[in-house]
Amino acid sequence: MEMFLMAAVMSLLAVAVSAVLFAAATRDGRPEATSPARRAAAEPQRFFASAADAAPSAEPGKQAEGVPVEALLLQIEHHIRLEQAAAESFLHTPSGQSLHSRTTSRLVN
Amino acid sequence: MATAPADVLVGIAAEEAEQVLALGSRIALSAGQVLFSLGDAAHSLYVVDRGRIALTLPMTVRDKEQDVLVEERSPGQSLGWSALVSPHRFTLKATAAVDTEVVALSRAALFDHFAAHPAVGYAVTRNLSAVVGHRLQIMQTMWLREVQRVVEISQG
Repeated sequence: MEMFLMAAVMSLLAVAVSAVLFAAATRDGRPEATSPARRAAAEPQRFFASAADAAPSAEPGKQAEGVPVEALLLQIEHHIRLEQAAAESFLHTPSGQSLHSRTTSRLVN
Repeated sequence: MATAPADVLVGIAAEEAEQVLALGSRIALSAGQVLFSLGDAAHSLYVVDRGRIALTLPMTVRDKEQDVLVEERSPGQSLGWSALVSPHRFTLKATAAVDTEVVALSRAALFDHFAAHPAVGYAVTRNLSAVVGHRLQIMQTMWLREVQRVVEISQG
């Protein structure tokens, strides 16, 4: 009976030591496994980033851009087409009124 | 040129028009391919046979040079008349908007043909004047409309 108890106590002790060692080992490895991106994701979300935070990732001239360049170019192209149509109309029936007829182009309105 | 005659060949007998077009060589362009660039030496007049050519000018948009559409040329329409007018430099960039085929008529071949067939030369020159004149009138009108806007902006 004594032998059995001793074996049981030794087993429990061994399990406890193993558990402590395992916990210590996994705690040491966690900071290395966490990448900067994961750390950033874990941080609380902010609506406005500070200028210092935003500066490194922002491309020059990008922040002020509301409309994509492609959309702006399409607007310019549409404006030119409207102006050509207005010019054709003026040449068909020349008058001061047709020369300066209003345009619906979003580029100038 | 199975459809309507080319704008520069209007008023010329079909047989004579065919002779003029026979002077040229066909150029096939895939969509986006550049036919000529702004400032290039202009050696040939082109007639669009199939597809569409976009004529563009460079414009600075958001600190970057972009090609902005100025005009388009469809089948039967000519482009590149700078080839026939000194100083023989293209003043626009021409790009195929879709898969396109043009007939390239070299200045040398055209002038030789016109020297041999003055009536054809006269008709082509007259048609070309109409094309150039129309472009001038359109651009002049567009320019005046923009100046009017500048005046309105400057006056608040």
